[in-house]
Amino acid sequence: MDDYAAVLAMLNHTWFGAELSPETQERLAKLGEVQDFEADEVILHEGDDAKEMGILISGRLALRTLVPERGPVTILSVEQGDIFGWSAVLADTQAQSTVVATQPSRALVIEGTKLRAALKEDHALAASLYPRVLKAVARRLRATRLQLLDLFAR
Amino acid sequence: MITSPAPSQTAPARQWFLARQDLDELIQAIRATGRRVIGPTIRESAIVYDEIQTAADLPAGWRDEQSAGRYRLERRSDDQVFGYTVGPTSWKRFTFPPNLTIATAHRTSFGFEQQVAEAPPVAFLGVRACEIAALAIQDRVFLGSQFTDEDYRARRAAAFIVAVQCTTSSSTCFCTSMGTGPEVRDGYDIMLTEIEDGFVIQAGSPGGAAIVAKLPTRRPSHAEAGAAVDNVESVRTQMGEPLPMAGIGERLKLQLDHPRWIQVADRCVECGNCTMACPTCFCTSVVERSDLDGKTSSTERQWDSCFDVAFAKVAGGDFRARPRDRYRQWLTHKFSTWWDQFESSGCVGCGRCIAWCPVRIDVREELAAIAPPIPPVVHPVAVTPVAASPGTYSVARLGSVRAETEDTTTLSLTDLDPAFLSGRPGQFVMVALPAFPGVPISISRFRADHIDLTIRAVGPTSTALVNLHPGAKVGLRGPLGTFWPIEEAYGRHAVVVAGGVGLSPLHGLVDALVANHERFESVSLFYGSRTPEDQLFRDDLAAWSASKAIDVAVTVDRAGPEWKGRVGVVTTLFDMISWDCSKVTAFVVGPERMMQSSVQGLISKGVPADRICVSMERHMECGIGLCGHCQMAGRFVCKDGPVFRLDELGDMFNREGI
Repeated sequence: MDDYAAVLAMLNHTWFGAELSPETQERLAKLGEVQDFEADEVILHEGDDAKEMGILISGRLALRTLVPERGPVTILSVEQGDIFGWSAVLADTQAQSTVVATQPSRALVIEGTKLRAALKEDHALAASLYPRVLKAVARRLRATRLQLLDLFAR
Repeated sequence: MITSPAPSQTAPARQWFLARQDLDELIQAIRATGRRVIGPTIRESAIVYDEIQTAADLPAGWRDEQSAGRYRLERRSDDQVFGYTVGPTSWKRFTFPPNLTIATAHRTSFGFEQQVAEAPPVAFLGVRACEIAALAIQDRVFLGSQFTDEDYRARRAAAFIVAVQCTTSSSTCFCTSMGTGPEVRDGYDIMLTEIEDGFVIQAGSPGGAAIVAKLPTRRPSHAEAGAAVDNVESVRTQMGEPLPMAGIGERLKLQLDHPRWIQVADRCVECGNCTMACPTCFCTSVVERSDLDGKTSSTERQWDSCFDVAFAKVAGGDFRARPRDRYRQWLTHKFSTWWDQFESSGCVGCGRCIAWCPVRIDVREELAAIAPPIPPVVHPVAVTPVAASPGTYSVARLGSVRAETEDTTTLSLTDLDPAFLSGRPGQFVMVALPAFPGVPISISRFRADHIDLTIRAVGPTSTALVNLHPGAKVGLRGPLGTFWPIEEAYGRHAVVVAGGVGLSPLHGLVDALVANHERFESVSLFYGSRTPEDQLFRDDLAAWSASKAIDVAVTVDRAGPEWKGRVGVVTTLFDMISWDCSKVTAFVVGPERMMQSSVQGLISKGVPADRICVSMERHMECGIGLCGHCQMAGRFVCKDGPVFRLDELGDMFNREGI
């Protein structure tokens, strides 16, 4: 499973990873670890320290937030190729939502401290990765704004 | 208002032949009447209008080579006297001089002495068809309202016009597109058409006839008369297909925010060459000039240009501070608002602004980019609507009722006129109950013996409809409107994007795509709704998802923990698109903002705008374009739509306030 070439191939197959430079893909593959999650497994709790960033290779994750009167509400699903836990790129941040696998899923998970240290030391890695993370966040923000408009409301 | 000299009243005008060697006789005959003759001469490597004394002063044997930003003179292989088009100067400088003293003032007497227009008689030799059109335009500008320019009137009345029909054209000419040439139709005293060894000449006024009578002419042979016609007709052929200028005024008005204004302004150096060379531009400034002791001053009018950086400046600011504003002002004035002011275009297609632009801006290219022709709306009526007139209704019976969601219900209508069954997906019907106003409802499904209407209860009529019981009668008019052009997706990837109740007008289309799936490269449905509970047609969604004929991806804006599917807006589903998007035909319906995001997402992936169809919604009361409510940028959504190709809507799609 941790076969290096297989990890690189998986990474290259994702939206997030495909346009990273080969050097960045290699670095991420070495920094990270492929993890499998079962359906309904909680990967991260809202409010926890943001310890890990993940790139979803297969499956689906739900990002949920708790609304006391309504219970957990799924505000977004993370599909194959997208990232979760991007807050781990920044130090001393908390997870913005609870991340749950809604079906058996596989992700390349990168530990936050190692990732931040690598970004600090390797400027080429930073120059390649930060824009991609920013783009992923921007996509999410655009989509969130549309959700906010509640266009289908009566 | 002075009009151009009246054409000869004899029809057809009598023609004569004047040999080339006798052309000077014409010039001298005109000079003998006391007129200065202004005609084409060569100066500083260009053909400019200046006083001529004899025919030898004319640029016989020369031709011009013109293109955007380029003008060259070259020797011809023959001695044609008028074998070129137009140069940098126009007759405007003689009828509307670049500098004119309009008044003087004397401090000692504190009076203002208006200058009396001095307009010695003059003849313009070599006036082309486009230039005659330009003179007619200037007549409207300076003499066509309650405020007139008397200096222009005097100069215009003093001008004897000898027109010359063009027998050649430059690549910059586009008179055929502006309807101003190449034939000269009227507005002349004498007209010449050059043929191999002379001119076919005809008079257009009594003064012209008097001059022609003095010339050594003879009647032209049949061949000579035919050659004159052919030489001019060949120019029309040389210029090729006219540009699509119909409606350019209105088209430009719709594109005031087009990004091309910025691009062309970045190129433009605002030299004003175009306005100086243009035979119809008329903007001026007034300056005061004083002698050294300040006792006498003169008021001078001089040509100005709307490209000047201070042209629109006032004490409080500048109304057109940016180059893009000034370029837009010039082009929209010339081709659009001139119509509002003077009931004609301001352009005659002479091409001077193109040839004399130092950065090679070609107005024809700019117009094509900024305001391309609006594709004609095709009204392919599948079937003649039933009971089309408001107040008439065809009765149908409610067969069954099915609740889709909490507030949306599908009514199946049966026992109805067969015309309704022959409608096409995308069309709608006007539905009414007694005492309730008619409302437009998309036909969500066509079956052999019934149609489905999927109705969201949002008003009194729709609420009444969803509360009907089977057996009830409803009134229908239709089917109305345009339908989804499913044929345009043959051989391509057919992509359907639906948001919320937008799946209703698309339901019939998806049925058709699935039934004929082998005719498409692939068929996909991307459907977003507010919550899982708000999804329409869940049974059909399940059936389609299970079908190999169509790929279905659904998402919701929000969900509880029991939902295991996608959560996010429908545009996030576009990540699944892996095909060559230039081969996609997309059909999009939903709230307009959702459609706009979807359209943007599709275009960013490479789907061409003319391969995206949307269905628009507007207030409708008649459904047949007579109540005026559903107008959207000149189109009636009820009869020109509701289905539109995106390029038909252009800039108007999702534009505020349209």
